[in-house]
Order: sequence, then structure tokens, then C-alpha cells
Amino acid sequence: MSEEILNIKNLTVDFGGVRAVNNVSITLEPGEFVGLIGPNGAGKTTIFNLITNAIRPTAGEISFKGKNILGKSPDRICQLGISRTFQNIRLFPQMTAYENVELGFHSEPHYSLAEAFVRTPRARRIEIDTRKKAMELLEIVNLKEHSHARASSLPYGLQRRLEMARAMATNPELLLLDEPAAGMNDDECNDLIKLIREIHTTMKYTMIIIEHHMNVVMDLCRDSRIYVLNLGSLLAMGTPTEIQSNPDVIRAYLGETKND
Amino acid sequence: MGYINTIIILGGINIIAALGVAILTGYTGLFTIGHAGFMALGGYMSAIFVKEFGVPFPIGILLGGTFAGLCSFIIGYPAFRSQLRGDYFAVATLGFSEATRLLLNNTRSMGESINAAESGIGMVFKPIGPLLVKLGGVFGYMSLPSPTNVFVVVVAVILALFFAHMFVTSQYGKNCIAISQDEVAAQMMGVNLLKTKMIALFVSAFYAGVAGGLMAFYFAYLTPSFFTITKSSDLLAAVVFGGIQSLIGPVITGFILVVFPELLRTFAEWRLIIYGFLFVIVMIFRPQGLLGYVEMNFEFARAWWNKIFRRKQNSQEG
Amino acid sequence: MELFIQQLVSGISIGAIYSLLAVGYALVYSVYNFTNWAFDGFMAFGAFMGFTAITSLFMPFWLAALFSIILTVILSVGTEKLAYSPLRVRKAPRLFMMISAMGVNLATVNIINLIYGGVFRKFPVENLQPIFIEGVSIGRMDLMAGGISFGVLALLWVFLYRTKWGLGIRASSIDILTASLMGINNSGVAIVVFAITGVLSSVAGVFYGIKYAVFPMMGIVTIKAMIASIVGGLGSLPAAILGSMILGILETLVSGYISSTYRDLFSFMFLIVILLFFPNGLMGKSSDEKL
Repeated sequence: MSEEILNIKNLTVDFGGVRAVNNVSITLEPGEFVGLIGPNGAGKTTIFNLITNAIRPTAGEISFKGKNILGKSPDRICQLGISRTFQNIRLFPQMTAYENVELGFHSEPHYSLAEAFVRTPRARRIEIDTRKKAMELLEIVNLKEHSHARASSLPYGLQRRLEMARAMATNPELLLLDEPAAGMNDDECNDLIKLIREIHTTMKYTMIIIEHHMNVVMDLCRDSRIYVLNLGSLLAMGTPTEIQSNPDVIRAYLGETKND
Repeated sequence: MGYINTIIILGGINIIAALGVAILTGYTGLFTIGHAGFMALGGYMSAIFVKEFGVPFPIGILLGGTFAGLCSFIIGYPAFRSQLRGDYFAVATLGFSEATRLLLNNTRSMGESINAAESGIGMVFKPIGPLLVKLGGVFGYMSLPSPTNVFVVVVAVILALFFAHMFVTSQYGKNCIAISQDEVAAQMMGVNLLKTKMIALFVSAFYAGVAGGLMAFYFAYLTPSFFTITKSSDLLAAVVFGGIQSLIGPVITGFILVVFPELLRTFAEWRLIIYGFLFVIVMIFRPQGLLGYVEMNFEFARAWWNKIFRRKQNSQEG
Repeated sequence: MELFIQQLVSGISIGAIYSLLAVGYALVYSVYNFTNWAFDGFMAFGAFMGFTAITSLFMPFWLAALFSIILTVILSVGTEKLAYSPLRVRKAPRLFMMISAMGVNLATVNIINLIYGGVFRKFPVENLQPIFIEGVSIGRMDLMAGGISFGVLALLWVFLYRTKWGLGIRASSIDILTASLMGINNSGVAIVVFAITGVLSSVAGVFYGIKYAVFPMMGIVTIKAMIASIVGGLGSLPAAILGSMILGILETLVSGYISSTYRDLFSFMFLIVILLFFPNGLMGKSSDEKL
């Protein structure tokens, strides 16, 4: 039996009268880089919210590394190894870029409260080590020179990269990226593709990416699979080539302006 | 000279309580209008330990603070557990503070009825009946020792500031700051909201309790009327004016807000009215207060100190 | 038994007053997501305006009530325009809104204190003879307070569920941004919401003043209404009424059968106990934040 890292079975969620996610099943092997696409309102972000337990499903199961994670608190799920970025960026606005990333490392403090009040040598060493690791992450996403800037003052594209760094700081095994390329032009997209691919190769995360920029998804998932969601239900699943020539998928997207 | 001593002592006590509110409201973003309640709990408990059980005065104060901290769990746990990002906590702080004051107002009558009880529920509390009577209800807990003096207060303020600084710069403190800026994102990044908030609340209540204890041993008596909503409002004002996410700010305003009313006795009735308007004005025009978001570190303090000294020197030479 | 019925009626009447306040609190909370501390001051303001109208301006009761309502509405809407909406426009965090609200409250209550002094005043209405039902004497004022309060709430219900403005408010309570995109006038909604708050708090203030007394700190009773709203389930208006009735009745029974000293203590413990077992209140629905 292959070791799936994420197993979503028959996931359904209703918001009042609206069925936002309908009987969706997704499985992931460790290290995969899977895409999740679909027209607006298809329920993609809702699935991320369900995985991280920001909302509770009406039916279905989610298991991570073989263990059920339904009902666990979001912070526990993060500590278990799932992290994410947000569709509408949610950085800590008044904190610097550095502090935002650092938070990911110590959201679960490494030393006791007593040690916090009297900063023992051990605590100090931990802090120095954390600082080093945070700066390394900032380096990886090319934000080192902005480390002292307030997060709210950073341009949009840099904020998205910062959010990725912060998510990476929590040391995840599964990384969920929610529209990391939103609002970017072609050049920025290309840089982003390179960065994300590099992150995937070096850090060996399992990743799911929600994106509307088709070239970004198709490129990043070229050796992998893409799930297509429409109106809450799974429409199709396959390689980028299969998806691009799938008539149902094309029909679902008709009427939307896409850059290809 | 005595007058200046009084100012320093009262100012110092206020600073310590204000630091408590700063940690909870300034750094963790949790509105509280109930810290007078924690001051009361800490004050009375310290007094009981020292006067009734002969505990040495510094230990009595620490015990009082700890008691206040433990009491904070009563509102912290139910309020922070809720899934709803609600204002439960804010409302609960007010309810808690008023309930505490009411309880303290009735200690004597409760004690008397317990002493007189021949049967019924009162019998369970028989042992503490006399103590409750001693607490005096509205009339106050009298004849306390008064070892609080300038030296004690100054030492206490320095320690309080030091440990507060340690806390807010620690990983715990930074998690609190994250909560204040985006609680949902903090949780998604692994911060345990319940635990972190309860820790912040405990520390904050401890500080208020210590302040209450110092107060008890300065005035040599305590009455519940010391711990009204007005007191809680004063503490909140120190943080609002001093600055969100700042320690030095509330220290400065915490001190000034004790000094000014003393100097402007005639305007006492206007004080809260002015605070009220200032709250709104500060929120609209300068929500970060005096020194908000300015990270306190020693370079900053040194630069500030130098600025004052240079100005003083200039004015002396000029 | 007679005592029980009297207590029950008294509890229902105070529950009705709490309902007015709790609904006002829940309404602002469900649309704007913060605790309107100024509510406390509005209630006292309403009571004092009514009191002044009768004693200094010699108005008859109903005119005085109207006078009080109108002035409180002006105060409430004014507060929204000057102290809240500038912050909301800037998406200020809830903490800042609450600080501003607390500021308005401090100013209002203490100005009243400055002008009128802390003396407990009796609201000047003739001592109405109690009604006798089945030989049990029931306070006529209690019945009136209960009846009128429920009448006001019924009117509010009609307004919220049968008028266009009500629809706008209900839509805004779900999501303000979406509501405005659907064409709902946000500042209009704000005016209406706070006007309603003004009406509710002044009526509650007048009745509370009649039942107990008129004094600057009287608004502290709004804490009971907030507790009631939370116990019922914050954000829901029917829940606020449910919570208020339960709290009002239980509280009065505790006061009557145990001791009035412990009445307020009971209310607070009630809040804690309920929250321990029902973290979202009795009727609570959890709201999920948009991510």
C-alpha cells in the first residue's frame, strides 16, 4: 500500500443552502506537486480551508500521513506539518518581513515560559539559531534586503513571497499555495515559477497550488497532475496535456478571460 | 519631600498595573476594562498573607500576584476557548471586576452570617467566617502594615519593566503580537491561541495583583472602592495614550496620569470626560499613541536618555 | 406561590428591559463586529433626558419619552458619525473601535455626572396601583414595561424582516462589503442601526429609571444585557432576547429567594458556567471568517 501523505475522501461542505464543495476526493503522494484549478467560486480555497480546519466539513474524511485530522485545531494541524499561504494576503502588517518569517519558527515556543523571563543561555542560543534560519529563508525568497521593512509597506509581489517564506518557516511537509501569482505580470510569473520549482526541489515539500495563471500551473505541474474543480465538484484530473484538451474543462472555462 | 514620595509611590504602583494592561491590551490586542479586579484580588490576598499568616512582605506580594493570575483563568479559559472571534473576553473582564468588587463589599456581612449560622450551607464556610468579617466589606480591611516606600516601589518598577521587556521580546511575546495583528493567520501558522492568550492574561493579572499588594501596604488599608471601573479606565488610558505595543509609553503615561490629577485637583470631575474625548481623538488621529510600535531596546532607551540630557544641558547653558 | 408569581412577573419585566438592551448590543455587534460600550452612556442619557423633560420642562410622560428617544437617537447617530465611522472606513481593528466606544462612554457618563450629580433620583411617575390577578398583586409598571418593551421589539422585528431598510441591515450583518456591492447604502445602514440603538437604549433607560432609579452610573446594567446576549449566542437577535429573559427571570428569583446581594454575582457566574458548556452560547452559531 503506497504511503499517501494526504487523503481526502468524499469531502462535502454546505454553507447554508449552498454546497460549496461536493463529494471531492483527492490523494497525494509525498513529494508530489499537484495543481488545483477551476473557475472562480469553484471551491478551491474552500478545500484549503477544510484541510487546515478553518472550517468544518459537512461530510467526508481528511487524513494526513495516515492519521485523521478532522476536528483538530488549525494550529495543531500546522504543527503536524501542513502550512499555507492565503488568497488575500494575511501577513502581520506592522511586523517587519523578518518578524513575519520568524513567527513561523516559534509559533510553538521552543523554550519554557520561565526561560522566557530569565533568558537562559539555552534560550539565547535557540533565538540566535532561529534568527539564522529565518534570514536563510528570506534569502531563499530573495527578500533579505527587505528584512527590516514593515510587511504592510512591501509591494504586492514581495508580500506574496514573504507569505511563502513564513509558511515555509513552520517546517511543513505539505505546503498549500493559494494563488501565489495573483496580480503578477509575465516576467514576475516566470521568476515565481523558478522560485517555486527551486523550493520544491530543495525542500522536498509536497505541494498543492491553486492558480488562475494557466502557464504557471501547467509549467509547475508538467511532471505531475492537476485537479479541476467546478461548482464544488471534481470535474477532471490528469496531466496538464490531458486537462488542456479535456472538453469539459474547456467548457467550464468558456467565457473567462485567461492568459495562456 | 513627603509629597514627592507619595507621587513616586503612587506613580510607580500605577506603572506596574499599567504594564500589566500593556501586555494584555497593547501587545496581545485584548481589550480589558477589568484590571481593577485583579488589583483587588492581589491586594487583598497579599494583605491576608502578610497580616493573618505573617508571611514576609515581598513574598506576600508575589503570592497575591500569583493569586490574581490564577483567578484570571476563571474568565480566560471560557472566554478564549470559544470558536467565535467574539468580545466575550472584554465583557467578561467588566463582569469579573464588578463581581469581585461586589463580593468584597459583602465580606463582612457574609462573614457575620457564617459566624451566626447554626446549620445549612453556611457551615461549610465556618473556618473562614472570622476572616471574612475582618476583611470588613465596604468598611475596608484595616490596620495593614505599611512597608511600601519609595525604595521598594522603585525596585519593583525596575523589576516589572525588566521582566515585561523579557516577556514581550520572547517567543511568547512575539506570538502575542502576532495574535494582536492577525489572530487567524497566527493560528494557521501554528500559534495556540488559547494557551498564548491565557499566558498573556496570567502575566497581566499578576502585574495588577502585585500593584494591588503594593497599594495595600502603602495605604495600610484596603477598601473595595479603590477598585472601581474608574481605576480600570485609568489603566486602559495609560496604555491607549502611552502606545500600543510599547512598554516605555505606558510607563510614561502611567506616571503622568497619576501626577496630573494630583496637581489639578480642581479639575478632578473633568478628568474622565477629557480622557473620554482623548480616547476617541487618539484612535482617530494617532492610534499608536505616544510611543506605539516603537521597539524598546537599550539603544533606543539610551538615545532617548541622551536626548533628554542634551536638552537639559542646553537649557542650563542657554 | 404568590411570591413566586410576583417574582416571575418582575423577572419578566426586567428581562424585557434587558432584551431591549441586549438586542441593541447584538445588532451593532452582528453588523459591525464590536462591542458598543457607549451603549451604557446612551441608556443613562435617555433616562436623564426623560427625567429632565418631566421635571424641568414639565412635559407629560409620553412627550417626555419621545423627547428622550429623539435626543438619544441624535447622540447615538452622532457617535457613529464622529467616533466610529472614521475608524471603520480605515478598517481599524476591533480593539480600536472598542477603545473609541469606551471613550464616548466615559465622556457621556461623566458629563451627566458633572451636570446632574451622583444623587439617585426617582423617575417621576405617579405610583400606579398594582393590578390584582387571581388575588396576586402584580406591579402595573412591570406589566407596562414588559408590554411596551415587547411592543418595541415586535416593531423592530417588523422593520428588520418586512422593510427594505431591514433587509439592508440583515445583509450587512452577514457581510458589509458584499452588501455594499449589492447596492446597499452603507452609511444609510449605519444611521439606521444606530438610530435603532438610540431608541432601544432610551426606552430601556426610561423604564429602568422608573423601576429602580435614575443615576449617572445606571448604564452599568448594560453589562447584564451583554451577558444575556452572549449567553443566548452573540450576533443573533432572537438569542439575545432568549438570553435576556432567562437571565432576568433567574436573576430575580435568586434575588427574591436567596439574597439581592448575590444577584449580580449570580449573573456573572451564570455567564462563566454557560460559556464553559456552550462556548458559542445557547443558540450560538459559529461564524467562519473568510480566508
